[in-house]
Amino acid sequence: MGFFDNILLGFQVVLDPNNLLFCVIGVLVGTLVGVLPGIGPIGAMGLLLPITFKITPTSSIIMLTGIFYGAMYGGSTTSILVNIPGEAASVVTCLDGYQMARQGRAGPALGIAAWGSFIGGSLSVIGLMFVANPLAKAALSFGPPEYFALMCAGLVILTYLAQHSILKALMMALVGLLIGNVGLDMITGLPRFTFGINELTDGVGIIPVVMGLFGISEVLDNLEQNLENREIFETRIRNLWPSLKDWLEAKWAIVRGTLIGFFLGVLPGGGAILASFVSYAVEKKVSKHPERFGKGAIEGIAGPETANNSATGGGLIPLLSLGIPCNAIFAMLFSALIIHGIQPGPLLIRNHPDIFWGLVASMYLGNVLLLVLNLPLIGIWVQVLKVPYRILFPLILLFCLIGAYSVNNSTVDVLLMILFGAVGYLMRKLGYEGAPLILAFVLGPMFELALRQSLLMSKGSFMIFITRPISGIALGVTFVLLISNILPSIKKRRQEYTEFKE
Amino acid sequence: MKIYDYWSSLFWLMLSIAVCAESLRLGIGTLGNPGMGFMAFGTSALLGILSLVLLISAIFRNQKTKSTNLLFGRVLWKRIILVLISLVIYAKLMPLLGYLISTFLLMNFLFWIVRGQKWWWVLVSSFLTTLISYYLFSKWLSGQFPDGIFGF
Repeated sequence: MGFFDNILLGFQVVLDPNNLLFCVIGVLVGTLVGVLPGIGPIGAMGLLLPITFKITPTSSIIMLTGIFYGAMYGGSTTSILVNIPGEAASVVTCLDGYQMARQGRAGPALGIAAWGSFIGGSLSVIGLMFVANPLAKAALSFGPPEYFALMCAGLVILTYLAQHSILKALMMALVGLLIGNVGLDMITGLPRFTFGINELTDGVGIIPVVMGLFGISEVLDNLEQNLENREIFETRIRNLWPSLKDWLEAKWAIVRGTLIGFFLGVLPGGGAILASFVSYAVEKKVSKHPERFGKGAIEGIAGPETANNSATGGGLIPLLSLGIPCNAIFAMLFSALIIHGIQPGPLLIRNHPDIFWGLVASMYLGNVLLLVLNLPLIGIWVQVLKVPYRILFPLILLFCLIGAYSVNNSTVDVLLMILFGAVGYLMRKLGYEGAPLILAFVLGPMFELALRQSLLMSKGSFMIFITRPISGIALGVTFVLLISNILPSIKKRRQEYTEFKE
Repeated sequence: MKIYDYWSSLFWLMLSIAVCAESLRLGIGTLGNPGMGFMAFGTSALLGILSLVLLISAIFRNQKTKSTNLLFGRVLWKRIILVLISLVIYAKLMPLLGYLISTFLLMNFLFWIVRGQKWWWVLVSSFLTTLISYYLFSKWLSGQFPDGIFGF
């Protein structure tokens, strides 16, 4: 099938009424969770994952991806209007977005964020189309050592980019691998670390872990504070279409944001959050008037908002062509495909063209839908923001409980979720991050299989990882990153980066 | 943060020792033929080493250089304990009382725990939430909830 035939197939798939419906549901739910501080895209995907059991894999992946990029759109609304980021990738948008709103320019700020997201999201899908297929073909020659090395690199890069201590992030990745070890051993078929609990024979489910670490713990963290209504900056939102001057100021920020987002999205361990921060830093660096940043510079919104959406398309490349999720959000998509019996990886595009091209087409359509729906709906999203948290949190908790229970109709999953919720709350308090744990947990079984197969192939020699070029390079990069952490200059830069984020 | 790093590293160290012991029991095999405890052993050994590094750095860290962030510094942390306990009780009671009753009770508690709510508002909100969620997830999305001893 030629390239255009594949595109046509994709649109044929996504225009199926069911898939279209789930695309709309995905982007709307995504925008909602992006708008609402308290539950991020990972929690929302975990919440809706049990529902996807009853729909086709294509609809399921279309909806879950829609949640992801929808949340990237929605997050900017709260950042601009309330100075509270709806999700982590929009933190940096607060800096200039809220200032623009205070200056009576909330409309252009929201408009450029939406347009930037649309342009970044759409262009990254084009990149995805052109890169994923050739990479998948190349990946057919990868063996267990290459996969092991790439997963190692992904985990180490993710910990390297951790917001807090790298040491703690590495520890969390190891804990994630250990949790991934629970259940039947893939080679002998015998149970391990199940403590005699039958429900653990299949391993710890992704949903209780994700909902606990990202849903329940977030609610607990918010409960600790006073649940007074958030103050919304009262302003009339007008002129959503940015002026020509705004466009001229923002155009290169959008171009740079698209490229930064796409390439950082592809990078193992990278993703939307990193892309938005790097984009902001780059815009400030290249600007002729860096002093305007933090005081309402439109480039400070256009760049990061474009970058975080562009990272969506970029991040799908390693997932769909190599079968390796590069961060916690893609780990959720990975799990969704596995649950439906579809192995993400080099054979996915060949064996399931409907899923790959349907997803690509759905992202085009979803980005258009978000633009068409969200700009007129901004008034409604603002009203949603006014829902008091004292009403919201019982509902979030109930949805989490139902979600965890629905997976296996078992209260063991609910108790596990509560346990992970309490652990996640303590982790937040003690400076441990959940993202490395989730990624390592999802990669754990693959990681172990690749390691054991490699050692079986080499009759116990670790040289197999070094003598093969791709695994050698990947492990070399991993090693350099690990070593570079102890260099004083890198430590200083990390400190500066953390201060910048704060 | 120093004291918390100290205690958390000790926790991870204990965990790593326990997992190492269990991995050895399961059998780690050889490098040429790794056993089912091989990966867990290696991972937990690494976790143990990193925990020790954190422990040592916490012991020797200059307290003045780090800003201390109190773990339960804010006043409403008791609310968290109560909510967690209520969730555990809910998970235990649901198979016995059924979805409708247990969810209604839980919602009452969760809406009530935040001060300033009128009792009738709590009751009506809990009732509506329970009913709507039941119809949404059980009837519309064909989820299966336990009926409990009362049969509903």
